[in-house]
Amino acid sequence: MKKTELKGLDISLYTEKLNNELEIYLIPYSNKKNYFISYATHFGSDITSFTDNENKTHTPPLGVAHFLEHKMFEQLSGEDPFTFFSKTGTDSNASTSYDNTQYICMGTKNFKENLRYLIKFVNTPYYTDENVEKEKGIIAEEINMYADDPDYKLGMKLRESLYKNSPRRIDIAGTVKEIYKITKENLYDCYNSFYKPNNMFIIIVGNFDKDEALSVIKEELDSKEKSNISDVENVIEPKEVNRKNLTIKEDIEVSKLGFGLKIPITNLTLKDEELDLYLNMLTNILFGSSSEFRERIREKKLISNIYTDWERLNDYRTFYIMASTKNPDKLLEEIVDELNDLSLPEKVFERLKKVWIANEVKMIDDIYATMYNCFDDIIKYNKIITNRLELIKKMNINKLNDLVKEIDFTNTSVVKMLSKNVKDKKFKIDNLSIEN
Amino acid sequence: MQVIDKDLGSFKVHLIKTDLFKTITMKVMFHTPIIKEDITKRNILSDILLTSSRKYATRRDLNIKSEELYAADIYTSNQRIGNYITTSFILQTLNDKYTEDGNFASSVEFLHEIIFNPDLIDNKFKDEKLELVKSNAKIALESIKENSENYSIIRLKEEYDNKSSVSYRMTGYLDDLEKINTQNLYDYYEKMIENDYVDIFVIGNINIKELLLIIKKYFKFRKVKKRKKSYELDYHLPRKKVKTIKEVTSNNQAKLAIALSISKLKDFDKKYSLLILNIILGGTADSKLFKEVREKNSLCYTISSSYSRLDNLMIISAGIDNINYDKVLDLINKILDDIKKGKFNESDISVAKEYYNTLTESIVESPARLINESFSEKILGVDSLEKRKENINKITKKDIIRVSKKLNIDTIFLLEGGD
Repeated sequence: MKKTELKGLDISLYTEKLNNELEIYLIPYSNKKNYFISYATHFGSDITSFTDNENKTHTPPLGVAHFLEHKMFEQLSGEDPFTFFSKTGTDSNASTSYDNTQYICMGTKNFKENLRYLIKFVNTPYYTDENVEKEKGIIAEEINMYADDPDYKLGMKLRESLYKNSPRRIDIAGTVKEIYKITKENLYDCYNSFYKPNNMFIIIVGNFDKDEALSVIKEELDSKEKSNISDVENVIEPKEVNRKNLTIKEDIEVSKLGFGLKIPITNLTLKDEELDLYLNMLTNILFGSSSEFRERIREKKLISNIYTDWERLNDYRTFYIMASTKNPDKLLEEIVDELNDLSLPEKVFERLKKVWIANEVKMIDDIYATMYNCFDDIIKYNKIITNRLELIKKMNINKLNDLVKEIDFTNTSVVKMLSKNVKDKKFKIDNLSIEN
Repeated sequence: MQVIDKDLGSFKVHLIKTDLFKTITMKVMFHTPIIKEDITKRNILSDILLTSSRKYATRRDLNIKSEELYAADIYTSNQRIGNYITTSFILQTLNDKYTEDGNFASSVEFLHEIIFNPDLIDNKFKDEKLELVKSNAKIALESIKENSENYSIIRLKEEYDNKSSVSYRMTGYLDDLEKINTQNLYDYYEKMIENDYVDIFVIGNINIKELLLIIKKYFKFRKVKKRKKSYELDYHLPRKKVKTIKEVTSNNQAKLAIALSISKLKDFDKKYSLLILNIILGGTADSKLFKEVREKNSLCYTISSSYSRLDNLMIISAGIDNINYDKVLDLINKILDDIKKGKFNESDISVAKEYYNTLTESIVESPARLINESFSEKILGVDSLEKRKENINKITKKDIIRVSKKLNIDTIFLLEGGD
């Protein structure tokens, strides 16, 4: 195992790569009670079409990665993994994203057995016509639940506007219509293509013994052969946004504004984690909680809440602003003004560096935040960034000024979600008599 | 871990010294018996105190100051705890070891500035600041239905018992919002500082002697107070017939919320048996509701139950398809009946106990949860962690069956999906 210190944070990372190329990341803590294990694959909803090793091309229904994640919990033995973990009070869960699927367990006891079980259940798919059919109602309700959230809908509409071809246009869980088409064969095709040691990794954070962890992982996974990963269809995404403006009407009381900036990064001077740090700094100065922009829109009563985020897609970075506002046009004007007349004072830049350094130390105190951040690093950069504190300290305003010259701030999409007039809600009361 | 509790007459101090964290967390809690008409005012008050202060003219200035203190986080929360409403001011900042000497003391001074030096003119809050906060609150209140799950629970509690404090909307009310002005808000602020019960919690690698000096320097309250009203709500009179209310929305998914009233229980059952019953019923992904309604019958994605000892109330909630309403209700009734008839295993109980034990073991992982634990033990009179563990392990199948018979479906609220 290779030991690397997370510089300035009093914690170490141990890494190992098995012969079959499975990556292992271990971050043990001496003063915590819980451990947190994640076993993950680089397979998510971004992959919609692929050609397997026998040269057969598959285009499964949308939402297949998420469907597969649900069905991973089905076991030949009939034992439900939730039940196994519950016996020792261990929490378990799974999640699917655009670019990964992960299976996790969190607990305080039974570390070795739980780690072994987590690996085993993810390594043994058991899909039948019957159990695939049964899941459709559950997932349909999951899709319906998200579809009812206006903020979620705004995000989806904004992605549709920003991307022309990318699967990011579609909900990770797919659509109700598509998931009803999924068969057990679809699931096996995907599983056999992407759930391979050379496409997967394990990360553990918290209270555990690193040698014990490594020996369990080796016992369970060393003998697994690596094999070629299926050829994923490369979806070509144009540099321009798909649609500049969209206005929709929804059953909401207060309107919403979605704003997206799409940045192609292939021609930018800065790369990888350094690029992401500077992009974050840029929007933190412009739109962060202590920005002049925020104060201005607050004084003008233009927002009740606002949310900003960066998204990463291969050769693109997109920046999102989403807000509830009584006046979407005015708010949009303010955003555009801010981007047309960039002001990046060095004093603010240095103050925010200080904030970021403090936040890194705070983050390491919390194993869940640490897990989340390290997982994110692996997905983004194929490694955990161990010198982030140094990278932040070294940040220089000139580099930021150079970067903004390379960005086209007019490559944007806007979605306005307005309130449609709704008639008075029906209201009915009926008394059912139920035997108590 | 070293714990010190001090009653300073006009307020109480609870200090937890531990090297588990690189941060120091301070929580200043103001409690008073809850009055429905005051909830909105209290929300506006905590918002306006975080908008500006005597020394910092804008929200931006406040944010810049907290950034300069190495990202000292300050936020507020308003919470109903049984019969009380609690406004908390929370400060979380890095230990000086990771910043510079005096940074923590300066952060406390900053917290003091926010709580005790409001931005006033002629002994009133400023018009323009109040308007700002009110306009934001108005938007939030108007869009309350956007979170349909929350909304269905709010409506369920109102239909369950609109006289009880359990039904009060912690989001506040539009009518009350209109009535707030710079004068009556300031009067209310003064009343809160003067009359509320105050608890100050601090956790981190602290120097207790120094910290007490800092606290005494920045926190001064005049009145000596004793809490009279109990935190616990009275028993709800059972209904003869189940009350069912349906409201229509344009959503895809319907939200079902069910209130179960609880008849009078022994102290042990209230504190322990019902807690375990709730975990078995709908507390986890291994619970009866989750297994039967979701896994076996594919009728929902989310379903769970929750139990509040102070409120004497259990709630079941699920996101379902309208057309399955009867089926889901029948299943829930059957699951409750089965438990009453003892149709469950010893292993269900041992799994629930393990789940509870892991939850309590994890308390030390988070400063916020350690403070909550301290609050529950010191103020709400909850048993100590060891005592709780001991009592939980005593629970038998008989106990679970006995308490399950005291549960009755009282009110059903369905937020129907549209067509």
